[in-house]
Amino acid sequence: MMSEKKELYLGYSSDKAVTPFFQEFLEALDQEKLMKSVCTQCGTEFLPPRQHCQKCLSLCELKEFTETEAKLWSHVIVDFAPESLTSKAPYVVAIGEFPSGLRLTAHITNLMSVPEVGMALKLAFEHIDDKKITYKWLV
Amino acid sequence: MARKVAVVAAGHSKFGKRYDATMRELCAEAYKPIYDAGVTQDKIDATVLSYAASQFTGQGAGSALMADYLGLQNVPHLRVESACTTGTASLRAAWGMVAAGLYDVMLVLGVEQMNRVSSARATEYMSQAGDMRWEYPYGISFPAFYALMASRYMHKYNMPHEVLSKISVKSHHYGSQNPKAHLPREVTLEEADNAVPICRPLNLYDCSLITDGAAGVIIAAEERVKEFTDRPMWIKGIGAGASAMMIQDRESLTSIPGAKRAAKAAYDMAGVGPKDLDMVEVHDCFSIAELIAYEDLGLAEPGKGRELIENRDVYHDGRIPVNCDGGLKSKGHPLGATGLSMTYEILKQMRGEAENPSRQIDNVKIGLAHNVGQSGQFVNIFVFERGW
Repeated sequence: MMSEKKELYLGYSSDKAVTPFFQEFLEALDQEKLMKSVCTQCGTEFLPPRQHCQKCLSLCELKEFTETEAKLWSHVIVDFAPESLTSKAPYVVAIGEFPSGLRLTAHITNLMSVPEVGMALKLAFEHIDDKKITYKWLV
Repeated sequence: MARKVAVVAAGHSKFGKRYDATMRELCAEAYKPIYDAGVTQDKIDATVLSYAASQFTGQGAGSALMADYLGLQNVPHLRVESACTTGTASLRAAWGMVAAGLYDVMLVLGVEQMNRVSSARATEYMSQAGDMRWEYPYGISFPAFYALMASRYMHKYNMPHEVLSKISVKSHHYGSQNPKAHLPREVTLEEADNAVPICRPLNLYDCSLITDGAAGVIIAAEERVKEFTDRPMWIKGIGAGASAMMIQDRESLTSIPGAKRAAKAAYDMAGVGPKDLDMVEVHDCFSIAELIAYEDLGLAEPGKGRELIENRDVYHDGRIPVNCDGGLKSKGHPLGATGLSMTYEILKQMRGEAENPSRQIDNVKIGLAHNVGQSGQFVNIFVFERGW
């Protein structure tokens, strides 16, 4: 008997467009593991993951992404938010660049000063509620 | 071999918060001056009637509605969607059809009705032009994408925010002289630099407006041009470019890679370069976008764009006038209409018909329109040449 899949959403959305591949990513994230994807044919890596390789369109498989330290590549403090995030504003969005060159876009949740390009970021996880999970940055 | 194609007529609605009109009435306002100039419905072979976002109105099959309202219900039509570059994407599609000989005379009309929803809702809809799986869940609004570029640019070139405010001051200076503008009033540098933050480092005066409006043009094949005007504006070069969907995947945030590629293609096709331009309309959805456009178009070296605004080179009597109609910032930015509004403005300037001499650019022979979609995923650049 198949177990029922857990209803999960990324970040602050309630996007219902969850595929089996994305569900596997979300379930790993629920276990505080960030997954990248690796092309089964040409080995190209993607973060965030893609089910199909951007280069050769072959299928990718999910593998745990193990880098945790990044540098801030760019940032914004969102004061006037889209309607769905109005209650959360202001919030800081940062693109972090890992030593491998892969990048990730997420909120910085513990910043008490102005963000600066080049500052050190640490990857972390948060269960926003019982269905919403996210990766995030800490400084 | 492609036929030569010219813009022979243009029309423009009043831009603004148009609670007195919806999409259909705005389209009629833009088409009426074209009709009055003699391009009646029976002279139009086909149309491209476009808007960027149906979420704002809920109207499906909008091109059919627009065609019907304009008395063009029996004329073939289609809609093109490319976010904020919908207007010139439509013009590019129509140009291809006329150049190829499918049609001789086409109406290209863009419209957007954005103010029937709250600003927060409009911001929500526009944020959905980011990647819905990976960017939207983090509340990256349209200004946030450009703020990410601004942060990186200001860091790399050690540039203070005040430079961006100088661009806003110029935009409002010219918008105040444009009767079609949404927010036709001057602002001081102090006001612009100290305005309420929207997406830091960008503030209110760094951001374009949520605008209702329409603009349209008629294009015709060379052998038909004389039927409509003795002052045509030839489409001399077209360049289209693209950039990665997610902003984190761009090779640079201090440039829009697709815009540089589009500029090269447009210049090559037209056989001109940045030094040949007499005026430029750039996609200043945000002040930082105008600064980056100076550099992507080759008007300034990377990191040196600030010199153009600081030296007033981009004013109407300067070396290379930019956005002397107020731009998206003061004239307004009804998404689907914007690229065609740029085209309308270049034709008007070439014909010496600016409403106010204090914004009329002298002797325009070559003009360029730079129209960017979302944060640079698609870009269309047109080079136009005076035909008389």
